[in-house]
Amino acid sequence: MSAAENAKAVLRRLTAASATERILISFAALVLAVLVGAVIILVSGRITTCQTAATTLFGTGFCYDPVEVYLVLFNGALGEPFLLNDPALFNPNWNPLNFGFALTLKETTLLVFTGLSVAVSFRAGLFNIGTQGQLVLGGLATALFSLFVAPVLPSGLVGGLVLIPLAVIVGALVGGLYGAIPGALKAYADANEVITTIMLNFIAAQIAFVLVSEFFSNPDSQVVETTPLPDWATLLPVAFPQGGDFSILALAFGLALVVGVWFLLEQTSFGYDLRTSGEQPEAAEYGGVDAKRTTVTSMFLSGALGGMGGAIWVLMVMGKWQAGVPSLGFDGITVSILAGNNPLGVVPAALLFGTLKSGSLAVQFGTGVPKQLVGVLRGLIILFVAMPEFFRMLGSAIDLEPDRETVAADGGALGGDDE
Amino acid sequence: MSTAVHLDEITKRFPGVVANDDVDLTVERGTVHALLGENGAGKTTLMNILYGLYEPTEGTVYVDGEPRDFDSPADAIDAGIGMIHQHFMLVDPMTVAENIVLGNEPRKWFGTTVDRERARQEVIDLSNRYGFDVNPDDAIEDVSVGVQQRVEILKALYRGADILILDEPTAVLTPQEVEELFRVFEELTAQGKTIIFISHKLGEAMHAADDITVLRNGKNVGTVKADETSNEELAELMVGREVLLEPKAEPQEPGDEVVAVRNLSAEDNRGIPAVSDVSFDIREGEVFGVAGVDGNGQSQLVEAITGLRTPTEGSISYKGRDITDASRRSRIADGMAYIPEDRHERGLVMDFDLVQNGILGSQHSQTFAADGRIHWSDARDHAERIIDEYDVRPPHADADAESFSGGNQQKFIVGRELEREPDLVVATHPTRGVDIGAMEFIHERLLDLRAEGKAVLLVSSKLDEVQGLSDCLGVMHDGELMDIVDPRNTTEEEIGLLMAGERPDADATDAEPPVGDAK
Repeated sequence: MSAAENAKAVLRRLTAASATERILISFAALVLAVLVGAVIILVSGRITTCQTAATTLFGTGFCYDPVEVYLVLFNGALGEPFLLNDPALFNPNWNPLNFGFALTLKETTLLVFTGLSVAVSFRAGLFNIGTQGQLVLGGLATALFSLFVAPVLPSGLVGGLVLIPLAVIVGALVGGLYGAIPGALKAYADANEVITTIMLNFIAAQIAFVLVSEFFSNPDSQVVETTPLPDWATLLPVAFPQGGDFSILALAFGLALVVGVWFLLEQTSFGYDLRTSGEQPEAAEYGGVDAKRTTVTSMFLSGALGGMGGAIWVLMVMGKWQAGVPSLGFDGITVSILAGNNPLGVVPAALLFGTLKSGSLAVQFGTGVPKQLVGVLRGLIILFVAMPEFFRMLGSAIDLEPDRETVAADGGALGGDDE
Repeated sequence: MSTAVHLDEITKRFPGVVANDDVDLTVERGTVHALLGENGAGKTTLMNILYGLYEPTEGTVYVDGEPRDFDSPADAIDAGIGMIHQHFMLVDPMTVAENIVLGNEPRKWFGTTVDRERARQEVIDLSNRYGFDVNPDDAIEDVSVGVQQRVEILKALYRGADILILDEPTAVLTPQEVEELFRVFEELTAQGKTIIFISHKLGEAMHAADDITVLRNGKNVGTVKADETSNEELAELMVGREVLLEPKAEPQEPGDEVVAVRNLSAEDNRGIPAVSDVSFDIREGEVFGVAGVDGNGQSQLVEAITGLRTPTEGSISYKGRDITDASRRSRIADGMAYIPEDRHERGLVMDFDLVQNGILGSQHSQTFAADGRIHWSDARDHAERIIDEYDVRPPHADADAESFSGGNQQKFIVGRELEREPDLVVATHPTRGVDIGAMEFIHERLLDLRAEGKAVLLVSSKLDEVQGLSDCLGVMHDGELMDIVDPRNTTEEEIGLLMAGERPDADATDAEPPVGDAK
């Protein structure tokens, strides 16, 4: 077999993988990434200089201990349930509602929204790279709406109960409309959505920057940001006394959306239209799907989910809108690919991301390993775990026929045979 | 006459399937031998064993009387066997001569350089010897499929093949090219070559072969001489029961008008006029056939009627209402079933299972989705019913559409569309790629619908099919409806002339295209 045929065979095998196999592949990739990362830690530990070796292998001292790094990474993400240097092992003072775990869940929550946003568009066959822009503007709309409406509402719990849901809806609407723009451009002017959404990301960032710096800036602050929202208008970390900007309500809302999006895609006529358009546009047209309308609707939905991500970022994390929005929208692309664009898969994928992010902080503070190296480890894990799914997408996109060795008895008259 | 190939008790098992079961096959030197059978009968597997692609589980291959054990096609080629697959393996930008010598190039300067002159001359000699009409200097991408096939045959001959295996060689050819191919067969056998060709078409086997071996479910069910058998006998061997080969629509009085197409014009995807000024009616209990060489506007006409293409001019009315601008979805909801010409692009979502494919087009209907929510259990029952009634094999509703063979995909689509309880069935090539047992069944179902008073628009490139099933037959040429004839009182020759664009003498000078009104 030539190299090209080998590559095709591998792609075909990946495309045909079952759900269980895909989960196993992801785990194997995780283990492999940890092993490769360990080698990198050892090598960098060898080329730096340090007073005392952190670990010694085969009589050679290394400055960083890979086992320690990974233990701290995952232990830190959970808020240190284990005592690493103690024979007792379990930390008697561990409380699941701790700061480290809150950080993990905060990232997870935000990525659930952006991951869902990307998953919806990818399933519709639309490569929405614009979740970031939809999130930026959705978040800004939420912040401005809250600031303007808060004065006329009673402060406290009642005001919060009214204002927060409304603010999230406003964020969703603005994000959705901003997503519908490239949708409409695609449907009615045949403009490639990859290009338009990327361009609209820049436009969103600049519009938000100008609006806030020129019209809605906080007079007491040097940075480009809005006035902070009153506490009662934000999602407070009720359950986590040590803080960490995580609200269990937001996570619950995110999980409810996961189920909602799954239901929409798998159980409704609209979801059928959307998936059919994504899989095979000609067949969708044949089945009576209005391609233009489905494109615009799917992009609105995707944008609305991104906008809600922005709303949660404002209400839960910042308590205001501030320039320099983290790249949650772009991370959402990786989360979605990792999840095989399945809304249910978005939850574990986002959790892995969240774990790595908050665990990185623990490694940075808890060991001597520089943060750049921690970034490399994180990137490795994401790269390894996402690649099989990425190649799977590639495999189905270039329309390889899956391996059908077992049905070769069919006279060779498979699929492609015509008169 | 000596024996060229003898397969002795060949059995080939794949996981879960027996593809060939104790098959004996004897092919005499200098003859054309047809291997006939339905889809999945094991024809290609058997030939892949002879060509060294598969190893038999049991049994022995004899070539020229000697037992052979081929590890790869290279061994088979050394033994003088060449195989021409359904999909050609040619390099498009290279010339005919370069493709033929590829891998066995004559060399000069101590083997360092390809001797192009000699290669070219050898190819010319070879094609002259067998009377092949090919220009060695044409690039493969510029020549027709028929010529490409001849290049494949020459390639095998250049490598010294005495026994040629062709897998469904006529599948990609026009009728004229098929004739040309059979002429090539005669030339080759006259010079002592042996030909084995795989087919599922009775007529071809009868026409071109000396001997015919029929495979059914992996077993050899009989070898007969072509001039001592009949279509009926072969069909019965293939299917295992008596088959009604020629569908006949009993005359019946049609009812009210269902579809009226008036002065319809449409363009193809490149914006070139494809249908011009076509008019006809279809009434209840009537099959309106459209005959014509593929690519003469039939596809665009059908797409305009089913709502997949906006006509440039003219109107379509359906059940008394103008639907020229109605959406595809509303037409489906209004009882229009459509068996599309391209099942891979349109008819099925290849990555969906049959349960999901079974509701394609019905995803908004009350039957499967009330209040926007799809009832998957009903959809599953529906898919299983289609699989059962239309004999889709294997009967796995959960398998992706992609994993089924072409004939079974077609049966599923036909089942889905005909079970819609339609008022109008638009069927394009409904039996394309299905075996004769299923073909008979689909014909019967179409005639049942007609008997129930439904209207049917039938487009097919098989003349006997449209002629046998239709009440009225429209013949298309170059986007125009040449004429509408009564298929029962018109000969094949007359239809053939219309298909070629020649109007009957009376109309020959009439520049105005005939406005075909059915009655």
